[in-house]
Amino acid sequence: MKLSLNNASKKRLTQDTGYKKRLKALCILCSLFCACAVLSGAARPLTHKVYIKTLNAGRYQLMVNNRPYIVRGVCYNPIPIGKNHEYDWWSDAHKPWMVDGKRMKEMGINTVRIYQAGEDPEKVKAVIRDLYDNYGIRVILGHWLGFWEYPCPFYGHKDFRDRVKQQVLDMVNLYKDEPGILMWILGNENNYSCLNMVRPWSNDEIDNEPDPQKQKKMRATIYYSFVNELAGQIHAIDPNHPVALGNGELIGLDVANEVCPDVDLVACIIYRGKTFGNLFNSLKATFDKPILLSEFGADCYDAYLGQEDQNMQAFFLQSQWRQIYDNVANSKKGAGNCIGGTMFEWTDEWWKHSESDPESWLVHDTESNWTNGSYYFDIKAKGNKNMNEEWFGIVALSNTEKEEGIDARIPRKAYYVIREFWKNPQKEIKLKR
Amino acid sequence: MKRIIVMSLLMMLSVSWVSAQETASSPAKEFVVFTDKNARDNHFIPSGWMGDYGDLKLNDQAMDNPHTGTTSLEFTYTAKKSQGSGWAGVYWQNPANNWGSKKGGFDLTGMTKLTFWARGAKGGETIQKFVIGGIKGTYSDSSTIEFGPVELTDTWKQYTVNLAGKDLSYISGGFGWVTTADLNPEGCTFYVDDIKFEADPTMKPQVRQPESMPFYVYSDRSSIKNHFIPSGWMGDYGDIKYEGSSKEDPYLGDTCIKVTYSGKISQGARWAGIYWQNPANNWGSVDAGYDLSKATKLTFWARGAKGGERIEEFKVGGIMGEFSDSDVASVGPVILNKEWTQYSIDLKGKDMSYIIGGFCWATNIDVNPEGATFYLDEIKFE
Repeated sequence: MKLSLNNASKKRLTQDTGYKKRLKALCILCSLFCACAVLSGAARPLTHKVYIKTLNAGRYQLMVNNRPYIVRGVCYNPIPIGKNHEYDWWSDAHKPWMVDGKRMKEMGINTVRIYQAGEDPEKVKAVIRDLYDNYGIRVILGHWLGFWEYPCPFYGHKDFRDRVKQQVLDMVNLYKDEPGILMWILGNENNYSCLNMVRPWSNDEIDNEPDPQKQKKMRATIYYSFVNELAGQIHAIDPNHPVALGNGELIGLDVANEVCPDVDLVACIIYRGKTFGNLFNSLKATFDKPILLSEFGADCYDAYLGQEDQNMQAFFLQSQWRQIYDNVANSKKGAGNCIGGTMFEWTDEWWKHSESDPESWLVHDTESNWTNGSYYFDIKAKGNKNMNEEWFGIVALSNTEKEEGIDARIPRKAYYVIREFWKNPQKEIKLKR
Repeated sequence: MKRIIVMSLLMMLSVSWVSAQETASSPAKEFVVFTDKNARDNHFIPSGWMGDYGDLKLNDQAMDNPHTGTTSLEFTYTAKKSQGSGWAGVYWQNPANNWGSKKGGFDLTGMTKLTFWARGAKGGETIQKFVIGGIKGTYSDSSTIEFGPVELTDTWKQYTVNLAGKDLSYISGGFGWVTTADLNPEGCTFYVDDIKFEADPTMKPQVRQPESMPFYVYSDRSSIKNHFIPSGWMGDYGDIKYEGSSKEDPYLGDTCIKVTYSGKISQGARWAGIYWQNPANNWGSVDAGYDLSKATKLTFWARGAKGGERIEEFKVGGIMGEFSDSDVASVGPVILNKEWTQYSIDLKGKDMSYIIGGFCWATNIDVNPEGATFYLDEIKFE
């Protein structure tokens, strides 16, 4: 056995006797191998197998390295004050994810959901590795599936689908071997486009159909079949990670049930206030797959009283997490088909109210532009507009202080309440609201 | 001997003192809302006139056949829609005219029922609901309990509202009633007497029972079978004209619903719709869902005035609030025929155990550029 050791190592080796020498040499060899592998990045440790385990009575459990894993996650898009969604935070020299990852770990977060990877693969890999290697936080990586492309996502056109498919497969090929990857989410609320509610699209065949209900079904069939095709092809190149279908509410899943056998789970965006209602049982009856609550939560601004209300946010989030835990596989209370959630979101985003007005990105806007009666404490706000898009952060951003070069993070009450909840999900914590 | 007499007197005094103490500390068995005008134990005043208050007349000293005492309360409702509401009612408040802006009310913890006596002048008068609590404001009542609809008889009858298990720690609206012009097209006269809360230990908290099928949202204008109120006007509500008593070729019975959507974009929303709610205007703030677990579908009949009107969605449930509907189901878009056509919303597998929003339609200007007029009838859960 030829070893290439430095002088100090050689000196120590000569002092040891036979067996000890061999053992020590082996250890050093292993250490060197690992160090080289980490430094080079070319030979990272083997990817961890992530899969869904089906238990009795239609219960589902997410498994990571053969161990049950409940996703205690958060949606992550750390846009600093004064920037908008076009900001490339992956390239931020101050590495905001390092500050955030530390605080997330302290809270108990084990997963972040990122809607789509940045453009530079090396920087994306660096973020995934930093979060995983330093804090044990895994990444759910998503893809918009061209939802925001101008003028609309042409799911009814093959050339559009082919282009999106290539992007998705490129993403999987690039990151599938990262140990920090947990799963893939395809789309977000793209199903609403099938109902013409947002980003409407069509093709000649659909346009020629006079019955609007059939048109809706045709669009849904095209879209969900495309997602299923992607899921199948992802599995062919990456057998180690589940593929989730991103979906707004449960709308359209009756169609997905017919055409999505290759999808492993559903990642639902749900804003129903303090309760998810019968979501879990309803999913079982419609599309019997595991569910990740991939976007849910509450804002912390009382639009009626015109003031921040951290109690309100903490109240809703605690209630939501309690229901998630009631419905995971090992709970006796619920449907057993929930694998966890990624709450919306880690930091406030100050650009959201007026995304085209750079001046407003410097202002923490308090004007609401949508309504949701489920968040009933401030539903009496003018025009019932009670949802404040810029106030969903579990941590607030400071516009006066910096920490390690980025806007200082100020944990809100929800941070502490959910941290305590995760420590002991059985314990009842009485909140003010 | 003197000592014995003194001892006896002391003992008698002592016994009478103890019994007075017991009376003072033992919980009250009843708490009067209203018995006779000027009765000393009246605690609430029938001051809260609502809706078409111009249609109401109150004789608070009706001598004609009171239930007990010398008088009862006589209400006359003309159904003339003086204020354009189509409904009217009266709340008994404390203090008078307190709509939650003043501190008043009573802690009625321990009371388990409210009883009252009522009769109609002719019999057949329909009261949409009687209500206890429910006043909202800075000083909101701690509960809302509703009872009804009730079809009165021409003789006195006692009604009991179960309050067991309800939070009665603050009640400023001790009693109230509401009825509508649709339920009483010719108006009505009725009498109320001896309204009181009682502490009856035999009362147990009411368990919500699944409703029997069929369960109507709308049968006919004056039908006591109607269960939800078309109160949830949404979007461009100024574009909507609603007639719950159209006689233009109803599918069944005397009347049907006629909806005219002008498409004028009055509120700038570009869409409009109506939710049928229980109670009226309940967007999930009042715990009043029906248990419709036995329903497997909702059916309704619809037709367009011209044919071709497009309704984007007909829906059941879906109201989200502090008390959310347990599920949602919908059908649409639907292009209406000129002839009556039955539509169905499949509820199999749905959780219909708690429904506030019994029915809903919504459409928009983009699919009805000229607006739309359409008719609905026989909306029911089966």
